[in-house]
Amino acid sequence: MTTTQNTARVGLFFLLGVALVWVAYATLSDGKALKSRGYNLVAGFDNLKELKQGDDVRMAGVKIGSVQETRLAGRRAEAVLRIDPTVKISSDALAMIGSAGLLGTNYIAIDLGSAGVPALAPGAEIRTTASADLNTIMTQLGELGGKLEGALGSMSEVLKGKDGQPGIFQRLDALLANNSAKVDATMTSLQQVTDKLNRGEGTLGKLINDPKLHDELLAAASDLKAATADARTIMTSAQGIVERVKSGQGSLGTLIYDEQAGKDLKAIAANLKDVSDKLAKGEGTLGKLINDDSLFREAQGTLRKADRALDGMGDSGPITAVGVVAGALF
Amino acid sequence: MKQLIAILEGIGGTLRLLVRAVAFAPTLPRQLPRFMEQCYQIGYTTLPIVSILSFFIGGVLALQAGYSMESFGAKEFIGSLVGLSMARELGPMMVAILLAGRVGSAIAAELASMKVYQEVDALVTMNIPPERILVLPRLAAVIVMMPVLTIIANLVGWFGGAIVAHSVDFIALEPEKYFETLRRFTKFEDVANGLIKAEVFGFVVVLICCSIGLNTRGGPREIGAAVTKAVVVSLILILVLDYFLTQSLL
Repeated sequence: MTTTQNTARVGLFFLLGVALVWVAYATLSDGKALKSRGYNLVAGFDNLKELKQGDDVRMAGVKIGSVQETRLAGRRAEAVLRIDPTVKISSDALAMIGSAGLLGTNYIAIDLGSAGVPALAPGAEIRTTASADLNTIMTQLGELGGKLEGALGSMSEVLKGKDGQPGIFQRLDALLANNSAKVDATMTSLQQVTDKLNRGEGTLGKLINDPKLHDELLAAASDLKAATADARTIMTSAQGIVERVKSGQGSLGTLIYDEQAGKDLKAIAANLKDVSDKLAKGEGTLGKLINDDSLFREAQGTLRKADRALDGMGDSGPITAVGVVAGALF
Repeated sequence: MKQLIAILEGIGGTLRLLVRAVAFAPTLPRQLPRFMEQCYQIGYTTLPIVSILSFFIGGVLALQAGYSMESFGAKEFIGSLVGLSMARELGPMMVAILLAGRVGSAIAAELASMKVYQEVDALVTMNIPPERILVLPRLAAVIVMMPVLTIIANLVGWFGGAIVAHSVDFIALEPEKYFETLRRFTKFEDVANGLIKAEVFGFVVVLICCSIGLNTRGGPREIGAAVTKAVVVSLILILVLDYFLTQSLL
Protein backbone atom coordinates (compact mmCIF):
# COMPACT_ATOMS: atom_id res chain seq x y z
CA MET A 1 0.00 0.00 0.00
CA THR A 2 1.60 3.20 -1.13
CA THR A 3 1.74 6.45 0.74
CA THR A 4 -0.28 8.14 -2.01
CA GLN A 5 -3.09 5.65 -1.60
CA ASN A 6 -3.09 6.18 2.14
CA THR A 7 -3.14 9.90 1.68
CA ALA A 8 -6.10 9.59 -0.67
CA ARG A 9 -7.92 7.43 1.84
CA VAL A 10 -7.25 9.90 4.62
CA GLY A 11 -8.50 12.72 2.39
CA LEU A 12 -11.65 10.80 1.52
CA PHE A 13 -12.17 9.88 5.13
CA PHE A 14 -11.80 13.47 6.24
CA LEU A 15 -14.21 14.71 3.58
CA LEU A 16 -16.68 12.05 4.67
CA GLY A 17 -16.37 13.31 8.24
CA VAL A 18 -16.92 16.91 7.19
CA ALA A 19 -19.90 15.90 5.11
CA LEU A 20 -21.40 14.00 8.03
CA VAL A 21 -20.91 16.94 10.38
CA TRP A 22 -22.67 19.12 7.84
CA VAL A 23 -25.49 16.61 7.49
CA ALA A 24 -25.92 16.44 11.25
CA TYR A 25 -25.93 20.19 11.49
CA ALA A 26 -28.43 20.65 8.68
CA THR A 27 -30.70 17.94 10.06
CA LEU A 28 -30.67 18.87 13.70
CA SER A 29 -30.76 22.64 13.29
CA ASP A 30 -33.21 22.54 10.39
CA GLY A 31 -30.58 24.32 8.33
CA LYS A 32 -31.34 27.43 10.35
CA ALA A 33 -28.06 29.23 9.73
CA LEU A 34 -27.89 28.16 6.13
CA LYS A 35 -31.20 29.66 5.13
CA SER A 36 -31.97 32.40 7.58
CA ARG A 37 -34.67 33.80 5.36
CA GLY A 38 -37.76 35.21 6.94
CA TYR A 39 -38.54 38.05 9.28
CA ASN A 40 -38.52 38.53 13.02
CA LEU A 41 -41.40 39.26 15.36
CA VAL A 42 -41.20 39.98 19.07
CA ALA A 43 -43.57 38.30 21.51
CA GLY A 44 -43.54 39.51 25.13
CA PHE A 45 -44.72 37.29 27.96
CA ASP A 46 -44.76 37.39 31.74
CA ASN A 47 -43.27 33.93 31.75
CA LEU A 48 -41.76 31.97 28.89
CA LYS A 49 -42.08 28.70 30.85
CA GLU A 50 -40.10 25.98 29.08
CA LEU A 51 -39.83 27.83 25.80
CA LYS A 52 -36.33 27.76 24.39
CA GLN A 53 -34.41 28.65 21.30
CA GLY A 54 -35.32 26.50 18.33
CA ASP A 55 -38.84 25.67 19.49
CA ASP A 56 -41.57 25.75 16.86
CA VAL A 57 -43.80 28.68 16.01
CA ARG A 58 -47.10 27.31 14.72
CA MET A 59 -50.07 29.06 13.20
CA ALA A 60 -53.24 27.01 13.53
CA GLY A 61 -51.01 23.99 14.12
CA VAL A 62 -48.81 24.49 11.03
CA LYS A 63 -45.16 25.23 11.60
CA ILE A 64 -44.36 28.67 10.26
CA GLY A 65 -41.07 29.41 12.00
CA SER A 66 -39.04 28.95 15.12
CA VAL A 67 -37.98 30.75 18.26
CA GLN A 68 -34.73 32.48 17.41
CA GLU A 69 -33.93 33.94 20.77
CA THR A 70 -35.32 34.21 24.28
CA ARG A 71 -34.34 37.16 26.43
CA LEU A 72 -35.31 39.25 29.40
CA ALA A 73 -36.49 42.75 28.55
CA GLY A 74 -37.11 44.82 31.65
CA ARG A 75 -39.99 43.37 33.59
CA ARG A 76 -40.96 40.77 31.03
CA ALA A 77 -39.54 37.97 28.93
CA GLU A 78 -39.37 38.26 25.18
CA ALA A 79 -39.16 35.62 22.52
CA VAL A 80 -37.86 36.63 19.10
CA LEU A 81 -39.70 34.61 16.48
CA ARG A 82 -38.27 33.87 13.07
CA ILE A 83 -41.22 33.62 10.71
CA ASP A 84 -41.29 32.11 7.23
CA PRO A 85 -41.32 35.01 4.72
CA THR A 86 -44.28 33.56 2.84
CA VAL A 87 -46.48 33.72 5.95
CA LYS A 88 -48.25 36.97 6.73
CA ILE A 89 -49.56 37.38 10.24
CA SER A 90 -52.54 39.66 10.88
CA SER A 91 -51.85 42.48 13.29
CA ASP A 92 -54.68 41.29 15.55
CA ALA A 93 -53.37 37.71 15.76
CA LEU A 94 -52.74 36.43 19.29
CA ALA A 95 -49.68 34.45 20.32
CA MET A 96 -49.59 32.11 23.29
CA ILE A 97 -47.25 29.45 24.62
CA GLY A 98 -48.65 26.02 23.91
CA SER A 99 -47.49 22.75 25.32
CA ALA A 100 -46.92 19.82 22.97
CA GLY A 101 -46.68 17.23 25.69
CA LEU A 102 -46.45 16.60 29.38
CA LEU A 103 -42.69 16.45 29.17
CA GLY A 104 -42.38 20.18 28.66
CA THR A 105 -41.93 20.68 24.93
CA ASN A 106 -43.42 24.08 24.32
CA TYR A 107 -44.15 26.03 21.19
CA ILE A 108 -45.59 29.39 20.28
CA ALA A 109 -49.14 29.06 18.98
CA ILE A 110 -50.41 31.96 16.87
CA ASP A 111 -54.05 32.14 15.82
CA LEU A 112 -55.15 33.17 12.35
CA GLY A 113 -56.40 36.61 13.33
CA SER A 114 -59.03 38.46 11.33
CA ALA A 115 -59.13 38.57 7.56
CA GLY A 116 -58.53 41.93 5.93
CA VAL A 117 -56.42 43.26 8.79
CA PRO A 118 -52.99 44.58 7.75
CA ALA A 119 -50.11 42.16 8.28
CA LEU A 120 -47.46 42.66 10.96
CA ALA A 121 -44.30 44.32 9.69
CA PRO A 122 -40.90 42.70 10.31
CA GLY A 123 -39.64 43.51 13.80
CA ALA A 124 -43.12 44.36 15.06
CA GLU A 125 -44.51 43.07 18.31
CA ILE A 126 -47.28 40.51 18.21
CA ARG A 127 -50.12 40.57 20.74
CA THR A 128 -49.83 37.83 23.32
CA THR A 129 -52.01 36.15 25.87
CA ALA A 130 -50.99 34.10 28.86
CA SER A 131 -51.94 30.46 28.91
CA ALA A 132 -52.52 28.40 32.01
CA ASP A 133 -49.57 26.21 32.69
CA LEU A 134 -49.50 22.93 34.52
CA ASN A 135 -48.10 24.49 37.69
CA THR A 136 -50.97 26.98 37.93
CA ILE A 137 -53.50 24.23 37.38
CA MET A 138 -51.80 22.11 40.02
CA THR A 139 -51.86 25.03 42.47
CA GLN A 140 -55.56 25.57 41.83
CA LEU A 141 -56.19 21.86 42.25
CA GLY A 142 -54.36 22.02 45.55
CA GLU A 143 -56.52 24.92 46.75
CA LEU A 144 -59.62 23.05 45.65
CA GLY A 145 -58.45 20.04 47.59
CA GLY A 146 -58.04 22.22 50.71
CA LYS A 147 -61.57 23.58 50.36
CA LEU A 148 -62.94 20.10 49.80
CA GLU A 149 -61.15 18.91 52.89
CA GLY A 150 -62.70 21.76 54.90
CA ALA A 151 -66.17 20.97 53.59
CA LEU A 152 -65.75 17.29 54.38
CA GLY A 153 -64.47 18.21 57.84
CA SER A 154 -67.60 20.30 58.55
CA MET A 155 -69.76 17.47 57.31
CA SER A 156 -67.96 15.03 59.51
CA GLU A 157 -68.41 17.42 62.47
CA VAL A 158 -72.13 17.47 61.77
CA LEU A 159 -72.21 13.72 61.58
CA LYS A 160 -69.90 12.98 64.45
CA GLY A 161 -70.49 16.01 66.64
CA LYS A 162 -68.01 18.55 67.97
CA ASP A 163 -67.01 19.99 71.37
CA GLY A 164 -69.08 17.46 73.28
CA GLN A 165 -72.18 18.14 71.18
CA PRO A 166 -73.65 14.92 69.84
CA GLY A 167 -73.64 14.37 66.09
CA ILE A 168 -76.68 13.84 63.94
CA PHE A 169 -76.47 10.06 64.12
CA GLN A 170 -76.02 10.12 67.89
CA ARG A 171 -79.08 12.35 68.20
CA LEU A 172 -81.10 10.06 65.98
CA ASP A 173 -79.92 7.13 68.03
CA ALA A 174 -80.89 8.84 71.28
CA LEU A 175 -84.29 9.79 69.85
CA LEU A 176 -84.95 6.20 68.88
CA ALA A 177 -83.71 4.86 72.21
CA ASN A 178 -85.88 7.30 74.23
CA ASN A 179 -89.01 6.65 72.24
CA SER A 180 -88.60 2.97 71.61
CA ALA A 181 -91.72 2.08 73.68
CA LYS A 182 -93.85 4.54 71.75
CA VAL A 183 -92.43 3.44 68.47
CA ASP A 184 -93.10 -0.17 69.44
CA ALA A 185 -96.68 0.66 70.43
CA THR A 186 -97.22 2.53 67.17
CA MET A 187 -95.84 -0.33 65.21
CA THR A 188 -98.03 -2.81 67.09
CA SER A 189 -101.14 -0.70 66.47
CA LEU A 190 -100.19 -0.38 62.86
CA GLN A 191 -99.78 -4.14 62.71
CA GLN A 192 -103.19 -4.67 64.24
CA VAL A 193 -104.80 -2.22 61.85
CA THR A 194 -103.26 -3.94 58.87
CA ASP A 195 -104.28 -7.35 60.24
CA LYS A 196 -107.87 -6.16 60.57
CA LEU A 197 -107.73 -4.73 57.13
CA ASN A 198 -106.48 -8.07 55.84
CA ARG A 199 -109.24 -9.93 57.62
CA GLY A 200 -111.82 -7.61 56.10
CA GLU A 201 -112.96 -6.16 59.42
CA GLY A 202 -114.27 -2.64 59.73
CA THR A 203 -115.49 -0.33 56.98
CA LEU A 204 -112.11 0.08 55.35
CA GLY A 205 -111.45 -3.66 55.58
CA LYS A 206 -114.78 -4.45 54.00
CA LEU A 207 -114.22 -1.82 51.42
CA ILE A 208 -110.94 -3.45 50.55
CA ASN A 209 -111.95 -7.11 50.88
CA ASP A 210 -115.74 -7.32 50.18
CA PRO A 211 -116.66 -7.50 46.48
CA LYS A 212 -120.33 -6.85 47.30
CA LEU A 213 -119.52 -3.47 48.68
CA HIS A 214 -117.67 -2.73 45.57
CA ASP A 215 -120.68 -3.67 43.45
CA GLU A 216 -122.94 -1.52 45.59
CA LEU A 217 -120.61 1.36 45.27
CA LEU A 218 -120.65 0.87 41.54
CA ALA A 219 -124.46 0.79 41.55
CA ALA A 220 -124.58 3.92 43.70
CA ALA A 221 -122.27 5.58 41.30
CA SER A 222 -124.51 4.63 38.35
CA ASP A 223 -127.58 5.89 40.28
CA LEU A 224 -125.77 9.09 40.87
CA LYS A 225 -125.04 9.27 37.21
CA ALA A 226 -128.73 8.76 36.35
CA ALA A 227 -129.73 11.39 38.91
CA THR A 228 -127.28 13.75 37.36
CA ALA A 229 -128.81 13.06 33.94
CA ASP A 230 -132.29 13.79 35.34
CA ALA A 231 -131.07 16.93 36.99
CA ARG A 232 -129.62 17.93 33.67
CA THR A 233 -133.02 17.34 31.99
CA ILE A 234 -134.77 19.42 34.68
CA MET A 235 -132.27 22.15 34.24
CA THR A 236 -132.84 22.06 30.48
CA SER A 237 -136.59 22.34 31.02
CA ALA A 238 -136.13 25.14 33.53
CA GLN A 239 -133.89 26.86 31.06
CA GLY A 240 -136.68 26.53 28.45
CA ILE A 241 -139.20 28.03 30.87
CA VAL A 242 -136.90 30.86 31.73
CA GLU A 243 -136.38 31.49 28.04
CA ARG A 244 -140.15 31.52 27.46
CA VAL A 245 -140.56 33.91 30.41
CA LYS A 246 -137.78 36.08 28.98
CA SER A 247 -139.48 36.15 25.61
CA GLY A 248 -142.67 37.35 27.37
CA GLN A 249 -144.71 34.21 26.66
CA GLY A 250 -147.21 32.76 29.18
CA SER A 251 -148.75 34.43 32.24
CA LEU A 252 -145.54 34.87 34.12
CA GLY A 253 -143.85 36.28 31.08
CA THR A 254 -146.70 38.68 30.52
CA LEU A 255 -146.65 39.61 34.19
CA ILE A 256 -142.95 40.33 34.15
CA TYR A 257 -142.36 41.74 30.73
CA ASP A 258 -145.79 43.24 29.67
CA GLU A 259 -145.89 46.87 30.80
CA GLN A 260 -149.69 47.10 30.40
CA ALA A 261 -150.27 44.15 32.70
CA GLY A 262 -147.99 45.84 35.24
CA LYS A 263 -150.00 49.00 35.09
CA ASP A 264 -153.26 47.01 35.47
CA LEU A 265 -151.84 45.22 38.45
CA LYS A 266 -150.88 48.55 40.00
CA ALA A 267 -154.43 49.86 39.42
CA ILE A 268 -155.93 46.70 41.01
CA ALA A 269 -153.64 47.14 43.99
CA ALA A 270 -154.65 50.80 44.30
CA ASN A 271 -158.35 49.85 44.16
CA LEU A 272 -157.86 47.12 46.72
CA LYS A 273 -156.09 49.60 49.00
CA ASP A 274 -158.99 52.04 48.53
CA VAL A 275 -161.57 49.33 49.42
CA SER A 276 -159.63 48.19 52.48
CA ASP A 277 -159.24 51.80 53.65
CA LYS A 278 -162.98 52.31 53.37
CA LEU A 279 -163.62 49.05 55.19
CA ALA A 280 -161.27 50.14 57.97
CA LYS A 281 -163.05 53.46 58.29
CA GLY A 282 -166.42 51.70 58.52
CA GLU A 283 -167.73 53.23 55.35
CA GLY A 284 -170.33 51.40 53.30
CA THR A 285 -172.49 48.40 54.27
CA LEU A 286 -169.61 45.97 54.61
CA GLY A 287 -167.61 48.56 56.60
CA LYS A 288 -170.44 49.11 58.96
CA LEU A 289 -171.04 45.40 59.23
CA ILE A 290 -167.43 44.98 60.23
CA ASN A 291 -166.90 48.05 62.39
CA ASP A 292 -170.39 48.91 63.85
CA ASP A 293 -171.34 46.47 66.63
CA SER A 294 -174.82 47.99 67.05
CA LEU A 295 -175.96 45.84 64.18
CA PHE A 296 -174.67 42.84 66.03
CA ARG A 297 -176.42 43.91 69.18
CA GLU A 298 -179.63 44.49 67.34
CA ALA A 299 -179.40 41.13 65.73
CA GLN A 300 -178.66 39.63 69.11
CA GLY A 301 -181.75 41.34 70.62
CA THR A 302 -183.87 40.19 67.73
CA LEU A 303 -182.66 36.66 68.13
CA ARG A 304 -183.41 36.84 71.87
CA LYS A 305 -186.92 38.02 71.10
CA ALA A 306 -187.32 35.25 68.62
CA ASP A 307 -186.13 32.82 71.23
CA ARG A 308 -188.78 34.03 73.68
CA ALA A 309 -191.45 33.89 71.07
CA LEU A 310 -190.51 30.35 70.27
CA ASP A 311 -190.72 29.50 73.96
CA GLY A 312 -194.27 31.03 74.14
CA MET A 313 -195.17 29.20 70.97
CA GLY A 314 -194.29 26.01 72.59
CA ASP A 315 -196.96 26.78 75.19
CA SER A 316 -199.74 28.06 72.91
CA GLY A 317 -199.53 25.56 70.11
CA PRO A 318 -198.50 25.65 66.57
CA ILE A 319 -201.19 28.03 65.32
CA THR A 320 -200.28 30.73 67.62
CA ALA A 321 -196.64 30.09 66.83
CA VAL A 322 -197.14 31.57 63.36
CA GLY A 323 -199.00 34.50 64.86
CA VAL A 324 -196.29 35.00 67.41
CA VAL A 325 -193.53 34.87 64.77
CA ALA A 326 -195.43 37.26 62.60
CA GLY A 327 -196.14 39.51 65.60
CA ALA A 328 -192.48 39.40 66.64
CA LEU A 329 -191.16 40.05 63.16
CA PHE A 330 -193.58 42.77 62.05
CA MET B 1 6.35 11.22 48.16
CA LYS B 2 8.52 9.71 45.49
CA GLN B 3 5.42 8.78 43.52
CA LEU B 4 3.96 12.25 43.94
CA ILE B 5 7.18 13.74 42.58
CA ALA B 6 7.03 11.25 39.71
CA ILE B 7 3.45 12.30 38.92
CA LEU B 8 4.34 15.99 39.03
CA GLU B 9 7.37 15.26 36.87
CA GLY B 10 5.13 13.48 34.41
CA ILE B 11 2.72 16.42 34.27
CA GLY B 12 5.55 18.90 33.87
CA GLY B 13 7.29 16.80 31.20
CA THR B 14 4.02 16.41 29.29
CA LEU B 15 3.35 20.15 29.37
CA ARG B 16 6.91 20.88 28.21
CA LEU B 17 6.46 18.38 25.41
CA LEU B 18 3.21 20.08 24.41
CA VAL B 19 4.80 23.53 24.37
CA ARG B 20 7.72 22.32 22.27
CA ALA B 21 5.48 20.48 19.86
CA VAL B 22 3.20 23.49 19.41
CA ALA B 23 6.28 25.65 18.88
CA PHE B 24 7.10 23.52 15.82
CA ALA B 25 3.59 23.93 14.38
CA PRO B 26 4.82 26.10 11.47
CA THR B 27 6.87 23.15 10.25
CA LEU B 28 3.75 21.03 9.77
CA PRO B 29 3.24 21.76 6.05
CA ARG B 30 6.68 20.39 5.37
CA GLN B 31 5.80 17.18 7.19
CA LEU B 32 2.63 16.50 5.24
CA PRO B 33 3.49 12.86 4.40
CA ARG B 34 4.18 12.14 8.05
CA PHE B 35 0.96 13.90 9.03
CA MET B 36 -0.98 11.90 6.45
CA GLU B 37 0.54 8.66 7.70
CA GLN B 38 -0.61 9.48 11.23
CA CYS B 39 -4.07 10.45 9.99
CA TYR B 40 -4.29 7.09 8.26
CA GLN B 41 -3.26 5.26 11.41
CA ILE B 42 -5.34 7.26 13.83
CA GLY B 43 -8.42 7.81 11.72
CA TYR B 44 -8.85 5.45 8.83
CA THR B 45 -7.71 2.23 10.49
CA THR B 46 -9.72 2.95 13.61
CA LEU B 47 -12.95 3.42 11.68
CA PRO B 48 -14.12 -0.24 11.53
CA ILE B 49 -13.84 -0.86 15.24
CA VAL B 50 -15.43 2.52 16.01
CA SER B 51 -18.34 1.70 13.70
CA ILE B 52 -18.93 -1.76 15.13
CA LEU B 53 -18.73 -0.57 18.70
CA SER B 54 -21.00 2.44 18.10
CA PHE B 55 -23.59 0.37 16.29
CA PHE B 56 -23.92 -2.00 19.18
CA ILE B 57 -23.79 0.72 21.81
CA GLY B 58 -26.68 2.46 20.05
CA GLY B 59 -28.51 -0.85 19.82
CA VAL B 60 -28.00 -1.72 23.46
CA LEU B 61 -29.11 1.77 24.49
CA ALA B 62 -32.30 1.40 22.48
CA LEU B 63 -32.87 -2.04 23.91
CA GLN B 64 -32.40 -0.96 27.50
CA ALA B 65 -34.40 2.22 27.03
CA GLY B 66 -37.16 0.27 25.32
CA TYR B 67 -37.24 -2.26 28.14
CA SER B 68 -37.47 0.49 30.80
CA MET B 69 -39.69 2.95 28.97
CA GLU B 70 -42.10 0.43 27.50
CA SER B 71 -43.59 -0.17 30.94
CA PHE B 72 -44.77 3.43 31.24
CA GLY B 73 -45.60 4.08 27.62
CA ALA B 74 -42.72 6.38 26.72
CA LYS B 75 -41.01 4.20 24.17
CA GLU B 76 -41.26 6.82 21.43
CA PHE B 77 -38.68 8.76 23.41
CA ILE B 78 -36.08 6.08 22.77
CA GLY B 79 -34.93 8.16 19.82
CA SER B 80 -34.28 11.18 21.99
CA LEU B 81 -32.48 9.10 24.61
CA VAL B 82 -30.22 7.34 22.12
CA GLY B 83 -29.66 10.55 20.18
CA LEU B 84 -28.67 12.61 23.17
CA SER B 85 -26.64 9.87 24.85
CA MET B 86 -24.64 9.11 21.74
CA ALA B 87 -24.08 12.73 20.77
CA ARG B 88 -23.23 14.13 24.17
CA GLU B 89 -21.52 11.27 25.92
CA LEU B 90 -21.10 7.81 24.50
CA GLY B 91 -19.91 8.76 21.02
CA PRO B 92 -16.91 10.86 22.08
CA MET B 93 -16.17 8.69 25.09
CA MET B 94 -16.12 5.40 23.24
CA VAL B 95 -14.02 6.84 20.42
CA ALA B 96 -11.55 8.20 22.97
CA ILE B 97 -11.34 4.88 24.79
CA LEU B 98 -10.84 3.02 21.52
CA LEU B 99 -8.22 5.57 20.57
CA ALA B 100 -6.41 5.03 23.85
CA GLY B 101 -6.50 1.28 23.43
CA ARG B 102 -5.70 1.03 19.78
CA VAL B 103 -3.73 4.15 18.83
CA GLY B 104 -2.40 5.30 22.19
CA SER B 105 -0.87 1.96 22.97
CA ALA B 106 0.73 1.84 19.52
CA ILE B 107 2.18 5.33 19.94
CA ALA B 108 3.50 4.54 23.41
CA ALA B 109 5.03 1.27 22.21
CA GLU B 110 6.60 2.84 19.13
CA LEU B 111 8.06 5.85 20.93
CA ALA B 112 9.15 3.76 23.94
CA SER B 113 11.02 1.33 21.70
CA MET B 114 12.61 4.23 19.78
CA LYS B 115 13.66 5.68 23.09
CA VAL B 116 14.89 2.37 24.47
CA TYR B 117 16.78 1.57 21.29
CA GLN B 118 18.22 5.08 21.33
CA GLU B 119 16.67 6.16 18.06
CA VAL B 120 15.38 9.24 19.81
CA ASP B 121 18.86 10.02 21.04
CA ALA B 122 20.11 9.64 17.49
CA LEU B 123 17.55 12.19 16.29
CA VAL B 124 18.60 14.59 19.00
CA THR B 125 22.19 14.09 17.99
CA MET B 126 21.25 14.98 14.41
CA ASN B 127 19.59 18.11 15.74
CA ILE B 128 16.16 16.85 14.83
CA PRO B 129 13.87 17.55 17.76
CA PRO B 130 11.76 14.40 18.39
CA GLU B 131 8.78 16.65 19.27
CA ARG B 132 8.80 17.99 15.72
CA ILE B 133 8.73 14.76 13.75
CA LEU B 134 7.28 12.35 16.33
CA VAL B 135 4.79 14.35 18.39
CA LEU B 136 3.54 17.24 16.25
CA PRO B 137 2.22 15.14 13.31
CA ARG B 138 0.39 12.85 15.71
CA LEU B 139 -1.22 15.74 17.59
CA ALA B 140 -2.24 17.43 14.36
CA ALA B 141 -3.59 14.16 12.99
CA VAL B 142 -5.67 13.45 16.06
CA ILE B 143 -7.12 16.98 16.01
CA VAL B 144 -8.23 16.48 12.43
CA MET B 145 -9.43 12.89 12.79
CA MET B 146 -11.26 12.92 16.08
CA PRO B 147 -14.33 14.89 14.90
CA VAL B 148 -14.59 12.64 11.86
CA LEU B 149 -14.48 9.48 13.97
CA THR B 150 -16.91 10.92 16.48
CA ILE B 151 -19.53 12.05 14.01
CA ILE B 152 -19.39 8.65 12.32
CA ALA B 153 -19.72 6.99 15.71
CA ASN B 154 -22.76 9.16 16.48
CA LEU B 155 -24.53 8.47 13.23
CA VAL B 156 -23.78 4.74 13.28
CA GLY B 157 -24.99 4.58 16.89
CA TRP B 158 -28.23 6.41 16.01
CA PHE B 159 -28.91 4.04 13.14
CA GLY B 160 -28.03 1.05 15.31
CA GLY B 161 -30.58 2.25 17.86
CA ALA B 162 -33.18 2.74 15.14
CA ILE B 163 -32.65 -0.74 13.73
CA VAL B 164 -32.84 -2.38 17.13
CA ALA B 165 -35.88 -0.33 18.20
CA HIS B 166 -37.64 -1.32 14.99
CA SER B 167 -36.72 -4.98 14.91
CA VAL B 168 -37.14 -5.98 18.55
CA ASP B 169 -40.63 -7.31 19.08
CA PHE B 170 -41.56 -5.71 22.36
CA ILE B 171 -40.40 -2.25 21.22
CA ALA B 172 -41.33 -2.26 17.51
CA LEU B 173 -40.85 1.49 17.14
CA GLU B 174 -41.20 2.93 13.67
CA PRO B 175 -37.94 4.52 12.45
CA GLU B 176 -39.89 7.66 11.49
CA LYS B 177 -41.03 8.06 15.09
CA TYR B 178 -37.56 7.27 16.38
CA PHE B 179 -35.88 9.91 14.25
CA GLU B 180 -38.70 12.40 14.84
CA THR B 181 -38.12 12.36 18.61
CA LEU B 182 -34.36 12.21 18.05
CA ARG B 183 -34.53 15.34 15.93
CA ARG B 184 -36.90 17.07 18.31
CA PHE B 185 -34.69 16.64 21.35
CA THR B 186 -31.21 16.47 19.89
CA LYS B 187 -29.84 19.78 18.73
CA PHE B 188 -26.65 20.41 16.84
CA GLU B 189 -25.31 21.99 20.01
CA ASP B 190 -25.36 18.55 21.58
CA VAL B 191 -23.38 17.11 18.69
CA ALA B 192 -20.97 20.05 18.82
CA ASN B 193 -20.50 19.48 22.55
CA GLY B 194 -19.60 15.89 21.80
CA LEU B 195 -17.14 16.90 19.09
CA ILE B 196 -15.40 19.34 21.45
CA LYS B 197 -15.13 16.64 24.09
CA ALA B 198 -13.78 14.15 21.57
CA GLU B 199 -11.22 16.67 20.42
CA VAL B 200 -9.97 17.22 23.97
CA PHE B 201 -9.95 13.50 24.76
CA GLY B 202 -8.04 12.60 21.59
CA PHE B 203 -5.55 15.36 22.06
CA VAL B 204 -4.89 14.40 25.69
CA VAL B 205 -4.62 10.69 24.89
CA VAL B 206 -2.07 11.23 22.13
CA LEU B 207 -0.13 13.76 24.19
CA ILE B 208 0.01 11.45 27.24
CA CYS B 209 1.01 8.45 25.16
CA CYS B 210 3.74 10.42 23.37
CA SER B 211 5.02 11.78 26.68
CA ILE B 212 5.09 8.39 28.39
CA GLY B 213 6.68 6.76 25.35
CA LEU B 214 9.40 9.37 25.06
CA ASN B 215 10.14 9.28 28.77
CA THR B 216 10.68 5.54 28.90
CA ARG B 217 13.98 4.59 30.52
CA GLY B 218 15.62 1.19 30.74
CA GLY B 219 15.44 -1.90 28.59
CA PRO B 220 12.85 -3.66 26.42
CA ARG B 221 10.83 -4.69 29.46
CA GLU B 222 10.08 -1.03 30.10
CA ILE B 223 8.37 -0.79 26.71
CA GLY B 224 5.51 -2.99 27.87
CA ALA B 225 5.30 -1.12 31.17
CA ALA B 226 5.20 2.16 29.28
CA VAL B 227 2.32 0.93 27.08
CA THR B 228 0.32 -0.24 30.08
CA LYS B 229 0.97 3.01 31.89
CA ALA B 230 0.04 5.06 28.85
CA VAL B 231 -3.28 3.27 28.37
CA VAL B 232 -4.21 3.35 32.07
CA VAL B 233 -3.36 7.03 32.48
CA SER B 234 -5.24 7.83 29.27
CA LEU B 235 -8.37 6.04 30.44
CA ILE B 236 -8.28 7.71 33.84
CA LEU B 237 -7.77 11.11 32.29
CA ILE B 238 -10.57 10.53 29.80
CA LEU B 239 -13.05 9.80 32.57
CA VAL B 240 -11.88 12.61 34.85
CA LEU B 241 -11.82 15.12 32.04
CA ASP B 242 -15.20 13.90 30.87
CA TYR B 243 -16.79 14.91 34.13
CA PHE B 244 -15.31 18.40 34.15
CA LEU B 245 -15.87 18.96 30.45
CA THR B 246 -19.50 17.87 30.71
CA GLN B 247 -20.02 20.19 33.62
CA SER B 248 -18.44 23.14 31.87
CA LEU B 249 -20.22 22.49 28.57
CA LEU B 250 -23.72 22.06 30.03
